[in-house]
Amino acid sequence: MSLKLENISITLNDRILIAPFALAIAAGEIVTLMGPSGSGKSSLLSFIAGDLPSPLQGTGNVTLNNKVIDHMRPEQRRIGRLFQDDLLFPHMTVGENLLFAIQRGPRSERESMMKTALQRAELQGFENRPPHSLSGGQRSRISLMRTLLAKPEAMLLDEPFNKLDKTLRSSMRDYTFNHLHARNVPTLLVTHDPSDAPKGGRILQINGMGDMIYV
Amino acid sequence: MLPFALSLIFALSNVFDGQAWRDLLAHPQLWPGLRLSLFTGAASATLALLVALLIVSAIYNTDKWHGLTTNIGAMLALPHLALAVGFGLLVMPSGVIARLVAALFTGWQSPPNWISTHDPWGVGLIVVLAIKEAPFIIWMLAGILNGPDVQRSFAGQRAAALSLGHSTGSIWLRVFLPQLLPKLVWPMVIVFVYAATVVDVALAIGPTQPPTLASVIWADINSELVASNARGQVGALFLSGAIALALFAAWALAKILAPSLRKFLVQGPSHWAIPSWLGNAKLKALMAFYFIVVMLLLFMSLAQLWPFPDLGPSISFAAWGRIFNTPQALITSLGLAFATSATALVLLIVWLETQPEKLDRPLMWLCLAILGLPAILVGLGQYRAFLNLGLTGTALGLFLAHLMPVTAYMFIVLQSPYRRFDPRWRTSAGGLMAGFGKFFWAIKLPLLKAPILAAYAIGFAVSFSQYIPAQLVGAGRFSTLPIEAVTLTSGNNRPLLAAFALLLAVPPFLVFVLAAHFSKSRWRLV
Repeated sequence: MSLKLENISITLNDRILIAPFALAIAAGEIVTLMGPSGSGKSSLLSFIAGDLPSPLQGTGNVTLNNKVIDHMRPEQRRIGRLFQDDLLFPHMTVGENLLFAIQRGPRSERESMMKTALQRAELQGFENRPPHSLSGGQRSRISLMRTLLAKPEAMLLDEPFNKLDKTLRSSMRDYTFNHLHARNVPTLLVTHDPSDAPKGGRILQINGMGDMIYV
Repeated sequence: MLPFALSLIFALSNVFDGQAWRDLLAHPQLWPGLRLSLFTGAASATLALLVALLIVSAIYNTDKWHGLTTNIGAMLALPHLALAVGFGLLVMPSGVIARLVAALFTGWQSPPNWISTHDPWGVGLIVVLAIKEAPFIIWMLAGILNGPDVQRSFAGQRAAALSLGHSTGSIWLRVFLPQLLPKLVWPMVIVFVYAATVVDVALAIGPTQPPTLASVIWADINSELVASNARGQVGALFLSGAIALALFAAWALAKILAPSLRKFLVQGPSHWAIPSWLGNAKLKALMAFYFIVVMLLLFMSLAQLWPFPDLGPSISFAAWGRIFNTPQALITSLGLAFATSATALVLLIVWLETQPEKLDRPLMWLCLAILGLPAILVGLGQYRAFLNLGLTGTALGLFLAHLMPVTAYMFIVLQSPYRRFDPRWRTSAGGLMAGFGKFFWAIKLPLLKAPILAAYAIGFAVSFSQYIPAQLVGAGRFSTLPIEAVTLTSGNNRPLLAAFALLLAVPPFLVFVLAAHFSKSRWRLV
């Protein structure tokens, strides 16, 4: 698995947010993208996911596993995303939130996938609980599990640890990175906190001109 | 709100009249009429909800969405009765559609023999009600969806669901709808009860053999026979009970279906899309329909003779001349509308400024009850209460009868924006040594002008379209536009009918346009 970005740029009303750049992320690699808020990091992720809102414009090629995907609709791209908020659906139970992401198929199979995911989140028996009854850390783990159940071929993380408190933050970071390594998915992480970046990983920085610089 | 409580007590005062109940149950039109009322009510409410959801899901968060509220306001301002009259002129055997067919295809020389207005199944009634209620539901939906929390959380949930492999159509069905529908319960109850008990629209375009139960009751109430009056009064209670039962049945059905619907929510990712031909054209079609109806009313009001196959009438200002020679109904309606909406606005602002927020809840329930109970029942109770107070047939009585529904609608519109007003403005104005008066006039009112003007426009339109209370409490001594228009629907003077329908439509429309114009911000935020 690999995610390849070629000649990607983002503009807002002719102002360049991100100047053309290229990046290839290998299977299981986590590349960190740093930059101040408003620098267009999140917009870049939206563009890769195919969901860039209208005044923003993006160009360039996105290739996932040697397949050009930039003409595909967002739901067909097989790119998983984690956001600052856990975004669990409030009208569904924890179990239903997980089932929502599992491909159609025999019911017993889908149920057991859901149960396995709950186990991995260390939340066995929580399937009938409403999301708002869980703690922040528990919700983050369910959110990650839900994303992984959709079997993404690449992952985009948009400051997913931002709203967690300090102690929770580092454990959630390790938990997330371990699961992503185990799945071998190429991952692009966006953050403004240097300590979020995994040890030894590549780090890119957006400067004031919209250029990408390796740190 | 005291008049309302009194109205209810008096509405119930006939509940033990045994003879009236026996008369009612022996009425040959009771059961067919009830079936028709419930069917047209349920069908039009469902249709309106479907149309509203299709339109909203097609344009939510596009450029069209932001211009929507103005268009919707204009559509809301058109009274039901005006739409019904215009629709009738469109589809009746000598109507415009038949003329077009004759001119283009068949060459008919006399009107075709089709059943259109007053059709026995109530199709015309259902269509008119659905078209008129759809903008109301869209407007309620816009209010929910544009709330700051909802907008943010839905945007996030949409992005998350997209990344999990769900298409936009699937997201509407599985993520948005289940969260929106519970908030639409009360608006839908209001729409259903209104449609199942409406009198003026049913008289204008509904079935006649048998008519809807509300029309049967209405005929009884206005009869000269005392026994018929009593029968009509218990009939109103009977209809209200039947509607309550129907609502309970709908609630029970929803409870029974809920588990299988939940399974549908979690079937897994789907690429289902709303068929684009359904979504895209709907809003334009709806607006075009309103436009055509208004144009048609204008043409018809200017017609003198319009022999069948001709596409255009010969022009005459006879109808308008008659109206401006005897403008009493127009003046009464205008005066009532300006006075009631202004009074209601002052009352509501005084309430919102002086009463703690926790008292809003009972008042909101009261307002919902006023709108959610059959107008015929409330109107009847009000009539009896006013009779005892000596208010029937007086200008004050007429004013109070209009004030009640106007206040109820305006409170529903105004409450949430007014209470959401950020209290820090008050604190910071206090820091600048501004007293309450200065703060209220210079800061609070300008910042709240959009919801206040919207509430005023809606109150105006509500007052303009009141038929039942005007007829009952006016006791024949006052005439308003809806009364004139309903009387004319059974006559043959179509130009005059069209002119009255147009008169019903234009002032509320103008008030809406002015309100929309003046509620524009000095600058666009973001």
